[in-house]
Amino acid sequence: MSVTIDGKLFDFKPGATVLEVAREHGVKIPSLCYHPKIGPAGRCRICVVEVEGQKGLETACTLAARDGMVVSTDTPKVLEVRRMVVNLLLSNGEHNCLSCEQNGQCELQDAAYQLGIEAPAFVVDGPPAEVDKSSEMIVIDRRKCIMCGRCIDACNKVVVNEVLGMGERGHESRVVCDTDRPMADSTCVQCGECSQLCPVGAIIDKKAIGKGRVSNLTKVNTTCPYCGVGCQLTLHVDKDANRIVKVTGREVLPNNGMLCVKGRYGYEFPSSPKRLTQPMIMKNGKHEPVSWDEALDYTAGRIKEIVAKNGSDVFSAFGSGRITNENNYAIAKFTRAVIKNNNVDHCART
Amino acid sequence: MDKQVREKIVAITEQYSSPKTAVLSALQEVQKSGSGYLKQEDMAEVATLLDVPLASVYSSCSYYSMLNRKPVGKYHIEIDTNIPAMLAGAGDLLAHIEKRLGIRSGETTKDGLFTLSTVEDLGACGTCPVIQLGDRYFEEMTPEKADKLIESLKRGQIPESKSKVVVGGDRKVLLRRVGQPNSTFISSYLKDGGYKALEKALGMKPEDVTAEVKSSGLRGRGGAGFPAGVKWGFLPKDSGKPVYLICNADEGEPGTFKDRQIMEYDPHLLLEGMAISGYAIGAKRGFIYIRGEFAWIADILERAVEEARSSGKLGRNILGTSFDFDISVHRGAGAYVCGEETGLIESLEGKRGNPRKRPPFPAVSGLFDCPTIVNNVETLSLVPFIVEKGEAEFRKIGLPNSSGPKLFGVSGHVQRPGVYEFPLGTPLCDILEAAGGVKGNLKAIIPGGLSTAIMTAEELGDCNIPMDYDNLPKRGTSLGSGGIMVMNDTVSIPAIALRAIEFYAHESCGQCIPCREGASVIKALLSKMVAGKGTKEDLETVLSLTATIKGTTICPTGEAFSVPIEAMIKKFRREFDALIQQP
Ligand SMILES: Cc1cc2nc3c(=O)[nH]c(=O)nc-3n(C[C@H](O)[C@H](O)[C@H](O)COP(=O)(O)O)c2cc1C
Ligand code: SF4
Ligand code: SF4
Repeated sequence: MSVTIDGKLFDFKPGATVLEVAREHGVKIPSLCYHPKIGPAGRCRICVVEVEGQKGLETACTLAARDGMVVSTDTPKVLEVRRMVVNLLLSNGEHNCLSCEQNGQCELQDAAYQLGIEAPAFVVDGPPAEVDKSSEMIVIDRRKCIMCGRCIDACNKVVVNEVLGMGERGHESRVVCDTDRPMADSTCVQCGECSQLCPVGAIIDKKAIGKGRVSNLTKVNTTCPYCGVGCQLTLHVDKDANRIVKVTGREVLPNNGMLCVKGRYGYEFPSSPKRLTQPMIMKNGKHEPVSWDEALDYTAGRIKEIVAKNGSDVFSAFGSGRITNENNYAIAKFTRAVIKNNNVDHCART
Repeated sequence: MDKQVREKIVAITEQYSSPKTAVLSALQEVQKSGSGYLKQEDMAEVATLLDVPLASVYSSCSYYSMLNRKPVGKYHIEIDTNIPAMLAGAGDLLAHIEKRLGIRSGETTKDGLFTLSTVEDLGACGTCPVIQLGDRYFEEMTPEKADKLIESLKRGQIPESKSKVVVGGDRKVLLRRVGQPNSTFISSYLKDGGYKALEKALGMKPEDVTAEVKSSGLRGRGGAGFPAGVKWGFLPKDSGKPVYLICNADEGEPGTFKDRQIMEYDPHLLLEGMAISGYAIGAKRGFIYIRGEFAWIADILERAVEEARSSGKLGRNILGTSFDFDISVHRGAGAYVCGEETGLIESLEGKRGNPRKRPPFPAVSGLFDCPTIVNNVETLSLVPFIVEKGEAEFRKIGLPNSSGPKLFGVSGHVQRPGVYEFPLGTPLCDILEAAGGVKGNLKAIIPGGLSTAIMTAEELGDCNIPMDYDNLPKRGTSLGSGGIMVMNDTVSIPAIALRAIEFYAHESCGQCIPCREGASVIKALLSKMVAGKGTKEDLETVLSLTATIKGTTICPTGEAFSVPIEAMIKKFRREFDALIQQP
């Protein structure tokens, strides 16, 4: 089965939407409410396309691809609707890119860029929207919110924390926590999934504010060191300052982008001055830096001594979620084969 | 929340398969029993009781305009200021009451006795100005009557409110019994031959009933004119799921006030229509989704359902057959978009009334994801006639492609605003004549509810225009719901356009950017224009928006305002131009 998009023929699997087919083949269609993780919402209407033989426009995110379908993504009619959507969004609210954290990583900005919109076509005054800075980790800047509803689906359908909802109606609509509580007083657990899926700069990570622009940060993919799940994450690093500015989850297994509050926001420890950077031995009531050889010899000697004196049962080993599988394997092996008991346990055992 | 309310809510939840469905009803109960508004604690209690997230209670609660989240006075005076009311002098009434109470709209008197608010169309277009006070209406208000009302309330007495009805036309089918004493009681309905059609239907095969309705050519009276029998035919065969029938009694479109006449004065006609339709489509359960403001009409319907149940016309084994069918009356809470069938379904499920994307259509997946048919009150009330008298008799009324009788609500500048029953295709002039003729010099009419394109006096000529589903589209407008708003030459069209877009901006559910932001931008630009501060560019912006918005939204609301606003500007361009600031 195949569809023609902008004159090119693409095969597709049954059930795929036009947006999915297009993206798979590098055809750019903007989307503000659609995100692969939450599926088609059909709300923002920016992904409209023209289908041959059909009168009106269709939203690509909800349109199931059909064999033989001929789709155009850049006709004057399509571009006019897209331009209108972006202009309407820019016409009120405060979409000021100058100091926005998401500058360079904003889907509204991208759409405006693609459409060549330099400044809003018209501006109307609206009531000022407020910023909720109450939470320790997350800021909701309603002045920039485009009410796409992604964060709400993220909270309710992806992580199922059921904190965010859409309050009011029409132009007054606003993202609320619980019964419209400040985020800090709500049932929010600060997992940050909303911030990860927000297409614009309306939900952002508080600690990253002012710490570095997207274009100056280097992305480093790694595994979360906290627990045994092994969530995949991306560190956004300011290399000059040798500092992690923020963390996002990678949209791959096992976590599909989701993180817990520790994984997403507890990232200062690598550069903490309190961090142990070399082995130390307590000498005369004080920790003193020593060489690895000295430390290992000392530890091996003490283990031998204690086990010889009291029997192997007094020894037990604790592995850690923060070391690798191989390390943990070695601990278990050592305990069983060298010490000869089964007293092995692990901090991530629940 | 006291024990009684809690028990009542639990009882409501038992009516539905999922307790979530009761969110709206629960909030309404709590508001009614408590201080007249909902505190965060109330919402939290409802959330716990129904085991739903706090945010989903809040998002439902804040969607509906009848649910208050701020304290209100002992008496909440709500004045309809929509276009029919505006034409009838609601502006003066509001000013009078504001002066009288010493407060502005949106405020409460210091003694906590009165809160004054303005509201959108209350479905009383023929009897404007209208005041809603709790669960009743005071219609045909004047400043003098308002004074009396306020005096009486100050004494702690809520006066008797009798809703007034003006009906006319040939009244062959739908309004036949309106005005008779005790017309709402089943005894009266039976005496006039009621429920005979049901008996006849139950002797037929369900598919034959559907076939009869199909060949009658009955077209949906809710606005779109879609053939009812064809819609019923979309139901999947043997889906294994229950089928639901929903009667759309939301009647929220400005200019429309027809369905309430049937429900208020001949409720059994609707119930019989629903029972027959339910039988035809294989439903065992029907719902009447009635706008919350029509509280006393909902009471009438509930009593009628009770009567029908106890005389074997509803419930189990109807008329001794194996057919079971029951009806619940479900009250809305103030949201125009809940009249759109998928918004209605969401609302019935206890959620925000946000229209759903289609496909799937309700006939395939509607209420609780089951096959569902939504029909308008008037549509369903025509079914007994079709079954009893036969489709041929029905087709004798009206035109070949627009068969049967139709209710026309006439409001605005006519001598006798009211609801008139005439065959489809009746010339506008006859309807206007029945309504006593135009008051003053005719300037324009809106022929089928606010979402239809305005027609100028020049276009109308001698008004010899057949009112039906084909002839109006030929003239660039449509029949819609049949709500005719008449305007004389005292009216300023830019002011009407502004009021129209204020309504849609207020009612947009807010999902689609073109509707949510488009309506609000058009509102801002038109209000600038009416204030004499508009520019030529502003007007061009409005026109480019209305042209682009059409067909880009989830539900037809985007079109429902772009079409009429565009028509008003194009047809009365000079009035708009005259407001533009000269450089
Ligand atoms: C915004 C909007 C509001 C509507 N309001 C009503 C209404 O109040 N009553 C109604 O019967 N139909 C209303 N409709 C039409 C319904 O969606 C639906 O088409 C109708 O109930 C179907 O019934 P019918 O086929 O019998 O006309 C509305 C449609 C829209 C888009
Ligand atoms: S906060 Fe972001 S994700 Fe949430 S609705 Fe607003 S723009 Fe969308
Ligand atoms: S068109 Fe308007 S009312 Fe309809 S779904 Fe979209 S935003 Fe809601």
